Amino acid sequence: MSNRTQIDARGAFCPGPLMEVIAALKLIEIGDEIEVLSTDQGTLKDLPEWCAKVGHEHVETTQHDGYASLVVRKAK
Amino acid sequence: MSNNSLYILLISPEHEKIQMAAMIASVAAVSERKVTMLVSMNALFCFERDLPLQPSYQGGRMSDVMKDRKVPDAIGLFKMGKELGEMEVYACSMALDVLGWEISNLTEDLFDEPLGLTKFLNDAEQGQLVTL
Repeated sequence: MSNRTQIDARGAFCPGPLMEVIAALKLIEIGDEIEVLSTDQGTLKDLPEWCAKVGHEHVETTQHDGYASLVVRKAK
Repeated sequence: MSNNSLYILLISPEHEKIQMAAMIASVAAVSERKVTMLVSMNALFCFERDLPLQPSYQGGRMSDVMKDRKVPDAIGLFKMGKELGEMEVYACSMALDVLGWEISNLTEDLFDEPLGLTKFLNDAEQGQLVTL
């Protein structure tokens, strides 16, 4: 079963949430997940795009009231 | 033969341009692009060691808003790009000579070494060059 680490990047501006996710991915095992909470609109497209480019998995994006939750699974 | 390497020539002391350089450099570096940046002219003054960061930036309306909203500092973004990706930062050797500066006069843990423009331009022929 994979572990999930949550990062609260609400209030951070681009590219802050993305950079926080990338830094966190360095510290976890393959198959584990990072969930980032973000109020930055750009993150909604940038993070899935980054995952597709470098080979990690964008698991899901969930919209909440005033912020979004994005989950990334470390794939390599 | 070209590749996807990104070369950034940063010469402006404007906060907005330094911020954009930091965003481009850091995101490209963590997106598996090799980034090489050469800092020269008035931009160098923004990287003077031990200088308070944001007061050294000159800027317009967007700079004021970014400072007020506490947007990630450009120096911090450059350092994250180096830490998390493949990124080299050089100081223009001509500008250092004119100022009588060494790498030790510049922001700690950011600059690799002095570099001449000829070498930078030759290398940049292999990739994409952005000037700010």
